[in-house]
Amino acid sequence: MLRALAAAIRKDFRLLLRDRVGLVFLTVAPIIVITVAGFSLATLYGAGPQGETAYVLPVADQDGGRVGRVIRRALADQEMVQVREVASRADAETLVRRHEAGVALVVPVDASRRLASGEALELELLTDPVKYLEVANVRGLVQELRHGIEREARARAARRVARLERRMAATRADFERAAASLAHELDALPARLAGAQAEVAARARAAEVGAERKVRAAVAEASELRVGLLGARLGAELAPLRRFVTELEASRTAFTRWSRSLRRQAGRYADRVPAPPPLPAIPLAVSELARLDTATLIERLTSDTRVPTPRIDLPRFPAPVPPTLPTLELPMLPSPPSLRLPGTIEIAETSVTGAPTRLNTFDQNVPGFSVTFLLLGMLLGVSLGLLDERDWGTFARLRTMPIPLDVTLIAKLLTRFVVGVAQMVILLLVGRVVFDVSLGPQPAALLLPTAGIVFAGTAFGLVVAGLASSREAVLPLGSIVIVTMAAVGGCWWPIDLEPRWMQRVALAFPTTWAMAAYNDLMIRRQTFEAALRPTAVLLAFGLAYLALGLALFRRRGVLTR
Amino acid sequence: MLGMTPSTEAAIAAVELRKRYGARAALAGVSLTVARGEIVGLLGPNGAGKSTALAILATLLPADEGDVRIGGHAVPAEAPAARRALGWVPQHVALYPSLTGRENLAFFATMLGVGGRVANDAVRRALTLVGLGARGDDKVATYSGGMQRRLNLACGLVHAPQVLLLDEPTAGVDPQSREHLHATIERQAHDGAAVLLSTHDMEEAERLCGRIVLLDEGRMVAAGTADELVGTSGLAASLSLRMLRPPPSDWLDGLASVRVLSANGTRATLVLDDPAAMPVLLARAARVGGDVLELRFDRPTLADAFFSLTGRALRDGATRPEAT
Repeated sequence: MLRALAAAIRKDFRLLLRDRVGLVFLTVAPIIVITVAGFSLATLYGAGPQGETAYVLPVADQDGGRVGRVIRRALADQEMVQVREVASRADAETLVRRHEAGVALVVPVDASRRLASGEALELELLTDPVKYLEVANVRGLVQELRHGIEREARARAARRVARLERRMAATRADFERAAASLAHELDALPARLAGAQAEVAARARAAEVGAERKVRAAVAEASELRVGLLGARLGAELAPLRRFVTELEASRTAFTRWSRSLRRQAGRYADRVPAPPPLPAIPLAVSELARLDTATLIERLTSDTRVPTPRIDLPRFPAPVPPTLPTLELPMLPSPPSLRLPGTIEIAETSVTGAPTRLNTFDQNVPGFSVTFLLLGMLLGVSLGLLDERDWGTFARLRTMPIPLDVTLIAKLLTRFVVGVAQMVILLLVGRVVFDVSLGPQPAALLLPTAGIVFAGTAFGLVVAGLASSREAVLPLGSIVIVTMAAVGGCWWPIDLEPRWMQRVALAFPTTWAMAAYNDLMIRRQTFEAALRPTAVLLAFGLAYLALGLALFRRRGVLTR
Repeated sequence: MLGMTPSTEAAIAAVELRKRYGARAALAGVSLTVARGEIVGLLGPNGAGKSTALAILATLLPADEGDVRIGGHAVPAEAPAARRALGWVPQHVALYPSLTGRENLAFFATMLGVGGRVANDAVRRALTLVGLGARGDDKVATYSGGMQRRLNLACGLVHAPQVLLLDEPTAGVDPQSREHLHATIERQAHDGAAVLLSTHDMEEAERLCGRIVLLDEGRMVAAGTADELVGTSGLAASLSLRMLRPPPSDWLDGLASVRVLSANGTRATLVLDDPAAMPVLLARAARVGGDVLELRFDRPTLADAFFSLTGRALRDGATRPEAT
């Protein structure tokens, strides 16, 4: 049993070792795929140590100041990018438009001043969003730079604040000392003021009493003098009046007595005696004036008339000297430094190729994998179809018939061409409906690269059929070549992931040109003119493949067995 | 040329065909003719040049030297006309397996220049001829090996060609299909086609072919009817005996036309150059050997002639013809 088992195992190993196709799939195919994928995705994990995968990064430093210098110096140390300094924003934009770079950095005018003065600052990234990873990597790099610059600016500001705090602390200490001294002086000031105030009040009172006394004495003296003078003058003036009143009273008394005597004398005729004329009455005031003595009169005359207070000029006395205020020695405050928080740095992205900043991943994947499966379809349809016809013997049979074999070949290629175009159209439509991919402003223009890649793929199937000696050899040979072309040509990932040398190599593959056209039309939203050159190249590839395939067919006699 | 004279009236005429693959001569001056209504067999061991000769006649391969005419048209100068007259049935089934038998026939009829209603009739007729009328709309992939062989033949004769080149048309088929194929081939010849049949089957060659051309190492070593080939081979009939007791050593003295091929005790194999000596031989064997217990008489066959003319060495170094 064990011997049989061992024999069976030996047999299977022999079969495997003699199965070249199987060995290719076991070893060569994965090695090739690993190699292609490894090189293609080199930049996904950062730049290579030799910088061969570094992105070209145009930098337009319109600032010329510290920010621009820092950015350029920092970028120069980065392996990920290869800085190409350009004179202006327009130059940077041109490089991106020409696809020589996926992203360019513009440091705006006055960036350093604005950052220092606390204003917002915008670093501008001119992007081709199709080169997504390159844009993302550079964006991340610039973000790091931005954070670095902001960090440095904050650190500088912090150092200035610390210096200012130290100066402010010293100044404050001076102020506190001065304030303490002032407070002490101010505490003593009320007592000093109270003493001065009491002294002033006492002196004022003394002056007031003395002045009053003098005034009163002067007034009394003047009043007495005047009364005396007035009594003398009044006595003199009233003397005739008094004599007349006295004489008048005597006359009136004499007349009354005379009248009464008359009447009595007239006896019974006293009634007939006319009444004497009334005597004028002496006015009371006159009588009193005559009757009262001079002193009383003066008293009466001055009782309701005050002698106006004489204007008294109080004696001036010097005000007490105010207490001397303490001298307040205020320290000189330092001029506040122009302390501002550093401004913020923003990053603004501007797509200069017409593509939206945020891509639909299916815009890349739908055409990419459609092209891949188109080529696989071509491989199966054309290569295996041709080899099937050879293996079935139908080609040999057809060669014995009057219709030229070229007719059969052309028919097969035309059939596959129509099928390939239909396949691409269907896949793009499915992408549109299901994944909302953009078909660009001119969806019909997609027929240009489609026709080109289908033609090239069809003719390539002829080449594979011409190279492969058997149906079994088609799959490893064709699939390896197609996988390589698809991967390197940007069908599975943006071609910009690849190092530059590989991107140059990729120009030898039709997939590269097809994807360039699809990206221009679908993602960058360009019109059919953008697809003309890639389509022409694809047709040239197709013609070259066709010629090579036919030559291989004729040289190797592929159609017979 | 071994007695075969090329004729301009022959449907197939090949004169002094030479073809080399590097240092090896695949054909070294082969000439043959096939008249209309004639079936000619092409025999030879592997590497003899049969397939190369057929490929040249079928316009698949250019000869280095020599002239070929098919249906009166020189090849390769008039290859398109020759191809219209030609029906080629390859050794391996050359059909589209995912198409039906009818679709295969219709396609090849079109490529052979038969179109429209004529093509439909030709297809129907061909299907009937090979006994596939009931299975014509089935995919070829569902056919048995014999059915595929019959359809393979039908595709070569759907346009009623003047010349039919058959490369081992019955290889690997069951007796019933072989019988049907033989009948169909004879029918084509009967209808006037010139048939050149390449085969390893001696019985088939003896049955179908009026003449046989024997190739070996690119050269034509014999040609003629089967009997002529046997005669050409110089083989004689043999007689195997087992007697009751061993005969004496001189028991054949006086029988000049009898030679001992082998002798072992009571057994002896004898060659009879003259079959008329048989009665005398048998009488002497019974007398000297006590009695004749076993007796077998073998006449030389085409196969014997084949081995005699080409030898029994294996031809493993043979290579297939390649197209250019």
